[in-house]
Amino acid sequence: MSALLELVGLRRRFGSLVALDDLSFEVPAGQVVGFLGPNGAGKTTAMRAIFGLTDLDAGVVRWDGAPVGPAERRRFGYMPEERGLYPGMKVGEQVEYLGRLHGLSPAAAAAATGAWLERLGIADRRDSKVEALSHGNQQRAQLSAALVHGPEVLVLDEPLSGLDPAGMDAIGQVLVDQARSGCCVLFSSHQLDQVEDLCERVTIIDHGRLVASGTVDELAAAGPRRLVVRIEGERTGQWARGLPGVTVSEVAGGAARLVLDDSVDSDVVLRAAMAVGRVTQFSFQRRRLSEVFREALH
Amino acid sequence: MALVVAAAVVARLAVGRARRGRRAPGGPVPPGPVPPGPGGGPSTGPARGPLGLATLARASQQAVEATLGVVGLIAMREVKERVRGRIFRLGTLFMLLAVGAAIVVPTLGSGHGPARQVVGVVGPLPVRGQQLVRAAASRDHDAVSLVPEPGLAEARSALRSGRVGFVIVDGDQILVERPVSSSGSPADPALVRDVATYLGVLEAYRQAGLSARQVSVLDGARPVAVRALEASSKAPERATSVIGLVLLFFMLTQYNTWILIGVMQEKSSRVVEVLLATVRPLQLLGGKVLGIGLVALGQAGLIAGFSVVVAEAVGSNLLRGMGALVLLSELLWLVLGYAFYCWAYAAAGSTAERQDQVQSLALPLSLPVLLGYIYSIAVASSGNADLLFKVLAYLPPTAPFCMSVLVSLHQATWWEFTASALVSLAGTVAMAVLAANIYRRAVLRTGARVHLRDVLARAPR
Repeated sequence: MSALLELVGLRRRFGSLVALDDLSFEVPAGQVVGFLGPNGAGKTTAMRAIFGLTDLDAGVVRWDGAPVGPAERRRFGYMPEERGLYPGMKVGEQVEYLGRLHGLSPAAAAAATGAWLERLGIADRRDSKVEALSHGNQQRAQLSAALVHGPEVLVLDEPLSGLDPAGMDAIGQVLVDQARSGCCVLFSSHQLDQVEDLCERVTIIDHGRLVASGTVDELAAAGPRRLVVRIEGERTGQWARGLPGVTVSEVAGGAARLVLDDSVDSDVVLRAAMAVGRVTQFSFQRRRLSEVFREALH
Repeated sequence: MALVVAAAVVARLAVGRARRGRRAPGGPVPPGPVPPGPGGGPSTGPARGPLGLATLARASQQAVEATLGVVGLIAMREVKERVRGRIFRLGTLFMLLAVGAAIVVPTLGSGHGPARQVVGVVGPLPVRGQQLVRAAASRDHDAVSLVPEPGLAEARSALRSGRVGFVIVDGDQILVERPVSSSGSPADPALVRDVATYLGVLEAYRQAGLSARQVSVLDGARPVAVRALEASSKAPERATSVIGLVLLFFMLTQYNTWILIGVMQEKSSRVVEVLLATVRPLQLLGGKVLGIGLVALGQAGLIAGFSVVVAEAVGSNLLRGMGALVLLSELLWLVLGYAFYCWAYAAAGSTAERQDQVQSLALPLSLPVLLGYIYSIAVASSGNADLLFKVLAYLPPTAPFCMSVLVSLHQATWWEFTASALVSLAGTVAMAVLAANIYRRAVLRTGARVHLRDVLARAPR
């Protein structure tokens, strides 16, 4: 049985604000798990709780069945939302130093630093100060620092924010590779398309509570049916708005994306469409992650 | 010592020392070649070649890291970053120059004359006479060498050329180029006077026809004790004390400000969040104060060693007798003072995120330092230590300054000194516990400045 990171019954209150409200979910090893929620949902607080960076009013974080303590955390990697490196320290020295703090020998830390800087495309900036790097390269340096010691658990708070598409792809591929090699990867993001591409599982929270969790396939397949209808000469989707049990979620590229209640017979929808014009597309589709997200928050 | 004690406590509390050579068991491998084992890396192997400063520094670093684990790692990062800085190097150079000047300048034209005196000797000078000349030189802090001159003409020539400071003729006359009280005389006036007196006494012994035993008894005469109601304002240890106080104030202020700003910067750059995901707050705090403390101690040691060398070279009396004790006392109080204040400054730094907040925090913390410093300078200059000053010598915030001055004024016994040091150590432990609590609670709270009442109450991180 593969190892599992478990967040069980986490509660955290800041004055009158409830940041975590009996939050529980799991992150299996070998998978990339997307951690989603609107701003202020409690994602960062939950991630900080994994590292003991915030006191909990209740609840426990477990790794491999045992409560997480300082010894376990040294085998974890963390990339906080507000990046944290010494601005005036050289990139290579800094990543090496963090590797040593995680328990690597000097030689192992130096070798791993070189390897990760190379992999992330900033080997030529090894002797540059962090403050001299571009935002994207600082992000890469920060990721190197989280990865240098070969963590068993990788927790990344918004690792893709502010990156160009090439940067997102590069970092995304690193996350997938880490999971493939047995690491437990949890990351938060607002880039839902990227999350959908990278993640096997998704956990969505709101107001500190879990609102949805499961594999991307499970979540996409669940919920009301999605029907995409394209009619020649009709680009408003107005024809479907009056149909009982049918909601027009969006109209894009001349096609209307409809959400059907369980009670709706799709033949009724097809006949209504044909009454408007020649139907060139009539297909059921999975929920997109953005739809899963929006519907989970309702 | 307090610093070392505190570091040891931190090290004991810090569970989970670095496990050398460990890779995360079962963790994914980094890309590229597998990292070599300890000592096998191309960039971290032991330095080749003769033992040099770099090798020594590396060995010291490894020793600290091996002894203190994570705390040692954090401390050595601080040491490297601080020592590498231009401010530190220039500051050290400035202090060395200032101390060198403070030692050398008083020996120039101070009436003591040159430190090294070459004395010409014309005619016979009995062994007893030679001993007396050397005794007089020792008394006047001069290094003397006796040079035989073939005749009076050669001796005059040697005097005019400046090759000798003065000449002893036939054991009963002294010849100088010009009156010793006049400016520009190469002869040390005090030495000339003392040699003249000693030789005169020797001549009187001879004329009195004293036996060898009687001469020996007279030679063994020692001055009776002279006790003054007030210590001389010109005692050299007092000058040593003042120089030491200035350095103590400068160094305490500088290193504590480093702590304050360093903690604030770690918080504002958010690097503290990455660090505390790996190490405990007490380890991080302990490493920082230990690292900066080692830099302070190293700098102070360098300045003290430099002072001793310079003082010896120019024949300064600043570090002779009690002066050396005063220097040692101030070194010890630098350590004790730093150990006490560093925790307070670290706790203050953990509540701030911006430079302007740092300034408003530093002011109240610097008040007791300023009070102790100014009061001590005044007392060291006047020689009058009143009751309040003696009380302040037992309070940890002001003891580093006040107790040092009492030592220089000969107004502190060894047990009073020890008692004050023990009180300071106890205060340091209490301060460290309080500061660690504040730091732990405040350093991860970002946004507005954290107020003490928030963290001293039951405060979440």
